[in-house]
Amino acid sequence: MIIIGEKINGSIPSMAKAIRERDEAFIRDCAKRQAEAGANYLDVCASVEVEFEIETMKWLIDLIQEVTDVPICVDSPSPYSCVAALPLCNRTGLVNSVSMEGEKIDVIFPVIADTKWECVALLCDSKGIPNSVEKRLEVFENIMKRAKEFNIDPSRLHIDPLVETLSTNETALTTFAECAWEIKKRYPTIHVTSGLSNISFGLPARKLINQAFMVLAVNAGMDSAIIDPTNRDLLGMIYAAKALLEKDEYCLEYISAFREGLIGPLPKA
Amino acid sequence: MSKIQEISKAIEFGKKKIMKGLVEEALAEGCKPIDILNQGMIEAMSVVGEKFKANEIYVPEMLVAARAMKEGVELLKPHLAGDKSAVLGKFIVGTVEGDLHDIGKNLVAMMIESAGYVVIDLGVDVSTEKFIEAIKANPDCNLVGLSALLTTTMPSIKKSVAAIIEAGLKNQVKIIVGGAPITQEFADLIGADAFAADAASAAAIAKAFVA
Repeated sequence: MIIIGEKINGSIPSMAKAIRERDEAFIRDCAKRQAEAGANYLDVCASVEVEFEIETMKWLIDLIQEVTDVPICVDSPSPYSCVAALPLCNRTGLVNSVSMEGEKIDVIFPVIADTKWECVALLCDSKGIPNSVEKRLEVFENIMKRAKEFNIDPSRLHIDPLVETLSTNETALTTFAECAWEIKKRYPTIHVTSGLSNISFGLPARKLINQAFMVLAVNAGMDSAIIDPTNRDLLGMIYAAKALLEKDEYCLEYISAFREGLIGPLPKA
Repeated sequence: MSKIQEISKAIEFGKKKIMKGLVEEALAEGCKPIDILNQGMIEAMSVVGEKFKANEIYVPEMLVAARAMKEGVELLKPHLAGDKSAVLGKFIVGTVEGDLHDIGKNLVAMMIESAGYVVIDLGVDVSTEKFIEAIKANPDCNLVGLSALLTTTMPSIKKSVAAIIEAGLKNQVKIIVGGAPITQEFADLIGADAFAADAASAAAIAKAFVA
């Protein structure tokens, strides 16, 4: 499971405050803890007004790179901001994201084409979030056509079939799962990813929904996730689900994660 | 409990299936349709909005309450025909250009409809032109709502509000804005008439505008 640490995101109130107040220690600490918990990428999303976005991204990326070598996942709804942030990163990472909306692919794909940068692709277009599996797969095929134009191998793409909120759409998980199965069937080396927290928005005891979703999503083929890597319960579910689905020979990764103290009850002091 | 109170409770708890029976009984007992609407239904949704604001109920519970209200209003419609006081106005709403988020916008549309407005929901990623076209095409529209979830689409709200003002439409409509990054400050800066932090507040503001 590719773990993309989600915590350095200005849409989280405590992080927004740290960004506003230029709290360097807070950012460095957050990056370090996510890296130590095993994040494969660190998502960086400034979530500030457009005119301040790039300078804020630079400030965040510089701080993160002071404390860890974990690659950056550059996150912005503006493709121009994404592209501007790439040279700020010491090593190739992940772009979050493209979709078939507007000019996102036109701006981002040419820049990452001849590099090793990977890219998250959302299955939506300028008409919005497609309301059926068929329509999402249509958007998927359109994205793959564009990827082929630029010679971007499927293994560099993390497809996010989009998770809607269960509270407003009962098919939120089932639609996601059907898309994930079909996508992996058509391109076995492609990655399927998702942000977690959407699913439980609007319901009580969100953690329960998030954890159940994680297990069901892993079963559907999700192999990349934008989560809080320091969330031991969630991480535990990932390892447990993988072992249960024959994706962990002799359960050795599960046992390792436990032994390293990443999952399971915290050792008594 | 009076019939009207029973209807109120049925809406609060999303009991769509018993609505038909209750409304028929209320009418048979001589309750005035406009009273059933105002005291039994609009008031109930107001309570639902406040409970949601206080985190006492959750999104799905709001949706089923609105569904029960819709059922009730449909049943009352033939009896309200011609009663102008039943309709407070027309509300045009949308999520602005570049933004696909709509849960908040949908809840606002639901609450303002429940407050007695006719609602035209333009959906998501709505351009300035589309807002203006819709307002012009609906001279009875007296309220427009613009929503955005992303800081990067706040400029779209600013642009659309400016265009509505420039097109001279402020004589016709009041403008209300909302969404996670939106503040009262921002609303004042761009010339909107109001800012609502949640659906219940939006409905209260909508009612106050025509009081």
